[in-house]
Amino acid sequence: MGVLVQQLLNVAQLGAVYALIALGYSMVYGIIRLINFAHGDIFMLGGFLGLLIGVHLAWLPVYVMMPLAMVLTALAGVLVERVAYRRLRDANRMSVVITTLGVGIFLENLVRLAVGPETRQIRSGLPTGSVTWLQGHLGVYVTWDKVLIILVSLTLMAVLWLIVNRTLVGTAMRAVADAKDVVPLMGVNLNLIIAGTFAIGSALAAAGGIFYGQAYALDPYMGIDLGWKAFIAAVIGGIGSIEGAVLGSFLLAGVEVTTVAYLSSNLKNGIAFGLLILLLLVWPWGIMGKPAMRKV
Amino acid sequence: MGRARFWMVCAAALAASLLLQLAVDGGVLPDLLNPYYLHLLTVIGMNIILVASLNLLNGYLGEFALGHAGFMAVGAYTAALLATKVLPPAADLPPVVGPFCVLVVTLGGAMAAAALVGWLVGLLTFKTVGDYLAIITLGFNMIIVNAIQNLDFVGGPRGFTGIPKNTTFFAVAVCAVLTLAILRNLIQSSFGRVWVSIRENAIAAELMGVAVNRAKNMAFTVAAAFAGLAGGLWAQNQQFITPRSFDYIKTTEILVMLYLGGMASLSGSILGVVAYTVLMEVLRNLLSAFAPQLAEWRMLISPLILILIMLTRRYGLMGNREWSWLRPGRSA
Repeated sequence: MGVLVQQLLNVAQLGAVYALIALGYSMVYGIIRLINFAHGDIFMLGGFLGLLIGVHLAWLPVYVMMPLAMVLTALAGVLVERVAYRRLRDANRMSVVITTLGVGIFLENLVRLAVGPETRQIRSGLPTGSVTWLQGHLGVYVTWDKVLIILVSLTLMAVLWLIVNRTLVGTAMRAVADAKDVVPLMGVNLNLIIAGTFAIGSALAAAGGIFYGQAYALDPYMGIDLGWKAFIAAVIGGIGSIEGAVLGSFLLAGVEVTTVAYLSSNLKNGIAFGLLILLLLVWPWGIMGKPAMRKV
Repeated sequence: MGRARFWMVCAAALAASLLLQLAVDGGVLPDLLNPYYLHLLTVIGMNIILVASLNLLNGYLGEFALGHAGFMAVGAYTAALLATKVLPPAADLPPVVGPFCVLVVTLGGAMAAAALVGWLVGLLTFKTVGDYLAIITLGFNMIIVNAIQNLDFVGGPRGFTGIPKNTTFFAVAVCAVLTLAILRNLIQSSFGRVWVSIRENAIAAELMGVAVNRAKNMAFTVAAAFAGLAGGLWAQNQQFITPRSFDYIKTTEILVMLYLGGMASLSGSILGVVAYTVLMEVLRNLLSAFAPQLAEWRMLISPLILILIMLTRRYGLMGNREWSWLRPGRSA
């Protein structure tokens, strides 16, 4: 029982980080049908911005440091969209994809040159020690930061859901996703909505990066690996769907944690991808995705 | 007209590469014709095979395949196994003929193994298109790399060492020219027209009686076979391979060269590989000559140049166009 709860919490923690990245992929894809391969590197950048703020502005409390890093990363995401992607908005998809790959390589090397290639860990600033209530009732040793990471991530996802489904901006986003060419005729500023999508996606990725840096470690090239994984999670859930991105992330984390716990950590990627491919062969559009219309 | 000129260019390229190989081996003009430049040309040749074969899938068939390095890995490990464990060392064989036979057997095995894997991947993925196909091919790339990491008799994660150096620049040049010739003729043939018709409108193609799944699978098999060829050449040129060198970072690099050159253009594939490789080397040399402390910044400048090219020439250098000598007799 205790082991099971422990593993479930591991799944929740890893899944929360994946979900924070996957949401950015899914939102951008849902709105402008662009797979932003640089998004994994935005996540890495967010983690390092958190690290730098933590090191140089150590007097800032943790609940100021994280929003600050999120705002800075959101600005970076908007800047990337403005400089590199906006002019390619109606180009063919392949040249946009290559641009996103280029932006990704650029960000990786920028961070590596600025911070150095070694792996770093973010000083968490969160209360340490275990949650005694859980230890008393379930007999599991759970650190506070793990619980906080899961709770804050879930809160952020709930806020995103509220923004998309309950506000005017969210309505505009969904409208753009539905009919990009018609919405500007209704007086909606398309550039503003797309920039907003990039900002929200990047801010969530920054939160994921900081959590990842606290729980595991940061290195300039981690964005490729985690970015691909989050992208896969988004596709599994049905890319373009917010609920799907979260579901896919927890599913991927579950498969990974199970493989590491009961088989071998060497087989982690292989088994995770094998199962996920099987899943996609059953649900070709992802679990929550809508089947693409076949136009005749 | 175009056909005769194509074969003339091919013959000239082969003659030039043979001369270059002999000149470097003989030590003529060591300043100008040195092994470093020859190594660069070898890498360019192998990358042309990779990029041109991926162009078949991404450019002509119009599918978004992302697992090319996986097929390359299958070819590289097959060739390495054949060369070290199965075949006798080339030194025990008669000169010239012996190494040639070794090369033919290893590369043939590499192509066959990769083609088989490509056929299987094609068989499993025909249900999906677009971004889902991308994810499945990427997944296969990761599964192949992960499987190799867990196979101890090929070195596992430590890599495969002690592969004999059976490849020369000339062998790579011959393979690259052969690849281009075969791909060019395939694309002009009825197969090529079927692939382009699927890219333009799969449903219309189906209504015209095209067996879409079979045609797609054929393209996957051919592209994988050539990726395997490049892998076999790579293994026997580097003499050391690790699973990590075939993961999605390699796929990304192949994609960068492909898109830089332009989709659905064999000339673009050649140009993209040459431009990218030369750009990286020139940047390395320039920076280390003028400011050694800035040599690291090369990695920052090259993606910027890539983004600039994409912003100013969004179809790549040669998208959908061909040099006249590579162009088919009638427009395809």
